[in-house]
Amino acid sequence: MDFTFLGDMFASLLKGLPLTLNFWVLSLLGGGTLALILNLMRTTRIGNAVAGAYVFVFRGTPLLIQIFMIYYGLAGFGFVRQSFLWPFLREPYWCGLLALILNDAAYTSEILRGGLRAVPKGAVEAGRVSGMTRFAILRRITLPLAFRQALPAYSNEVISMLKATALVSTITLMDMTGIARAAISETWRAVEILLCAAAIYLAISLLVTRFSAWFERRLSPWHFGRTTP
Amino acid sequence: MTDAVETKAVGPALSITGLRKTFGANEVLRGIDLSARDGDVISMIGASGSGKSTLLRCIPMLEIPDSGTVTVGEDSLSPKGGRLTRAEEATARRMRGHLGFVFQNFNLWTHRTVLQNVIEAPLFVQNRSRAEAVDEATALLEKVGLAEKRDAWPAHLSGGQQQRVAIARALAQRPRAILFDEPTSALDPELVGEVLKVIRSLAEEGRTLLIVTHEMGFARDVSSRVVLLHQGQIEEDGTPEQVFANPRSDRARAFLSGHFDRTR
Repeated sequence: MDFTFLGDMFASLLKGLPLTLNFWVLSLLGGGTLALILNLMRTTRIGNAVAGAYVFVFRGTPLLIQIFMIYYGLAGFGFVRQSFLWPFLREPYWCGLLALILNDAAYTSEILRGGLRAVPKGAVEAGRVSGMTRFAILRRITLPLAFRQALPAYSNEVISMLKATALVSTITLMDMTGIARAAISETWRAVEILLCAAAIYLAISLLVTRFSAWFERRLSPWHFGRTTP
Repeated sequence: MTDAVETKAVGPALSITGLRKTFGANEVLRGIDLSARDGDVISMIGASGSGKSTLLRCIPMLEIPDSGTVTVGEDSLSPKGGRLTRAEEATARRMRGHLGFVFQNFNLWTHRTVLQNVIEAPLFVQNRSRAEAVDEATALLEKVGLAEKRDAWPAHLSGGQQQRVAIARALAQRPRAILFDEPTSALDPELVGEVLKVIRSLAEEGRTLLIVTHEMGFARDVSSRVVLLHQGQIEEDGTPEQVFANPRSDRARAFLSGHFDRTR
């Protein structure tokens, strides 16, 4: 084992960590917001159909193809090149982020939908009879209960998105995987380099797992035999 | 409690006229007229499917009647077509603010502690100060015998305790009338008594109560009035003595004899 090489490799891979984290956090934020909107749309019949079609398409096609479609495909349309969005859409960064957000929204909206369906009807009725507005019920009762229900499934999605950010390396971006790929083509020491990269992803996943377990205990202490908040 | 007295005003606490409701082809309520004055304790009895729970749920518009009028205090609603407009929804919210509602299945908010359940509406609907809401909630929890459970989670309480918290939660809204939808039907037999005791104390305080119940002995003891529903219509309406001892109709007699034979 060439520890000097491994050490150097870690150091240079970590230079890609900020970009990886950037894609990861922003796609979760954007995807989560869009997922909430998709679920609110589901309260109307047309909105439900649109949201259903959206989820069908983005969950049913590979993320890699979605990234390529946005990065290579959109430029083929004249109106896209004319639009005010072109300064963004010609940048690989924004194309990658957009693809990740759209993809994450599809999965997260289904996770949230499951959580919302699990909210007991009686809890909502109790809100209504206390005179709460629809918005207050959503904010104070429905979403908090749905979120607690969805948390275990959502922590999977969070880890899944961390790994999905690796795909942006295919459109020239130098995230951790991008740096790893470049290093491999220079040195041909694929196994060591990929192990280093995998170890960093693994370490972050471990943190997520620990955090979500802690968060779950904190949000729903009664499930864990704690009698007071 | 003084606030029960404060809210008394002219006119009935609530009234219902010509109320009709169908679920699909099933006509559940077929023209109900009922009104409650402040201080009335009205028990609504009847066989399963007679429409008594639906009637109770129509008052705060948890079910929207097909026709008829519901009045609570100064607010009145006559929804058409089984739905509420935006303006009617606002009126309904005001009406709900004047009513407490206690469900068969308690329906406490499981993600909030006992105290948080009780102060929710005072804080976030009625915009009272936290100190005032907490003080009042503490007093109410003491009243229902659960002062020591204020920081417990609903999941850690028995059914009877949860229902008593639900009653405290309803009282915290300072309602003009409290509606009970079979408050003891989901409880183990040994827990029924503690809940009935609390409801009885509310009746003795002079609060206005509408109680849908299968507890005939309780209805006879605490009510000022008993209403018997049969197939969506009011079959009997009178004092407990009138309804239980001298029911006018054969149907009422049959229903009551069946019940008292079973419970004795």
